[in-house]
Amino acid sequence: MAYVIGAACVDVMDRSCMEECPVDCIYEGARKLYIHPVECIDCGACAEVCPEQAISADRAADPDHRLDNRRFFEEPLPGREEPVGSPGGSAKIGPVGADTAMIKAG
Amino acid sequence: MRRAAVLTVTVMSTLAEISMPTDDSPPIEVDILIVGAGPAGLYGAYYAGFRGLRVAVMDVLPQPGGQITAMYPEKPIYDIAGLPSVRGRDLVDNLLAQAAPYGPEYLLGHQAVDLSYDDDRPVVRSVQGATVRAGAVIVTGGIGTFTPRPLPAARSFDGRGLVYFVRRLADHTDQDVVIVGGGDSAFDWADSLAPLARSVTIVHRRDRFRAHAATVERVREAGVEILVNSAVTAAAGSDGLETVQVTHLPDGTTRELKAQTLIAALGFTADLGPLLGWGLELRSRRITVGTDMATNLPRVYAAGDITDYPGKVRLIAVGFGEVATAVNNAATVIDPEAELFPGHSTDGPAERK
Repeated sequence: MAYVIGAACVDVMDRSCMEECPVDCIYEGARKLYIHPVECIDCGACAEVCPEQAISADRAADPDHRLDNRRFFEEPLPGREEPVGSPGGSAKIGPVGADTAMIKAG
Repeated sequence: MRRAAVLTVTVMSTLAEISMPTDDSPPIEVDILIVGAGPAGLYGAYYAGFRGLRVAVMDVLPQPGGQITAMYPEKPIYDIAGLPSVRGRDLVDNLLAQAAPYGPEYLLGHQAVDLSYDDDRPVVRSVQGATVRAGAVIVTGGIGTFTPRPLPAARSFDGRGLVYFVRRLADHTDQDVVIVGGGDSAFDWADSLAPLARSVTIVHRRDRFRAHAATVERVREAGVEILVNSAVTAAAGSDGLETVQVTHLPDGTTRELKAQTLIAALGFTADLGPLLGWGLELRSRRITVGTDMATNLPRVYAAGDITDYPGKVRLIAVGFGEVATAVNNAATVIDPEAELFPGHSTDGPAERK
């Protein structure tokens, strides 16, 4: 289980959630943030601080964004060779600087 | 040899007395050492006691309860068998009470740092200087070592006024206390300290709180000043802490507050930390175990969120089952004459201490 960031984050990226996340599992794309579906421990701290209320539990999330959050990590992003994978903390890799095809096109 | 000091856990409604061995305490001898005092670890302490095994529980945090205490003590939990709804901190209190008759030794505030073997038996040392010699070790480390989030503006007062936990309420009698944070810990401590401190002020970056609404209301009524959209941006004092500077973030205005104690209750970060160096076989930063919860290391078992195997589901309910499996299998390794099946608790448990 994991939390999912939805459309309200696009081009806002407040990043309060990144400060709250106890396991540093929120990664920064170019236009949007993404929660790692495996590294997330489902604590919900991010959802409570998001000023855009963009974050919801996966069972309540928009299915397209639920899939898209997963794709950000599991499939190579547009123009990239390798998927982001599971780095074990976004601070370790910094801003990824790219988005999924769905967000890039949107 | 110094006497072990006693630490009272203040934020739990059950006041647990916790022994704190010092650097020169003698090694502690137990049958089972549990590393991690979250729900799985605490239930393991009960289970080991029920089997008549001597048990110690080590955790880096000074409070028992793991993720429950650190992150959601006030949230109701709905998926514990037999408890239609239980508040997080009540579940922790009940787990402590369930294990209490068997007298587990709690080594809270101790970070397990090193695993070695002496005569084929595991020996675990903590950063703080405790040494535990055990028949078996059960790692119930959840998501790893919790570290309180730092408060960089006051870093130089670490240990001289800046603290991350309230260890004894009485230490803050007649003090001016500033608490930074908006979660349950911040408000619990404000609630407990308001009657005896000279003043208590809460400083929070936002205008919404994660803490339970009823606690926020009670703290407000107790006369605690709550500064929202604000942050502690500087600290000053000649020897110990004397004042903190609070900046109102929207307009940048500042004010000075008297403070002999500054409590940083900004939450925690977690990572596996020293466990990574134990030689445990890991997959995606989790410990791989077999159906008996054994790890790749002799006499070292794991249970709860930290384990991984095909089909793993990370729930407290699953952790309870895993730790019972781990304890019962460890029991047969510690004593080859012991039966794997422990008997039923209704048949009359081991003698209580």
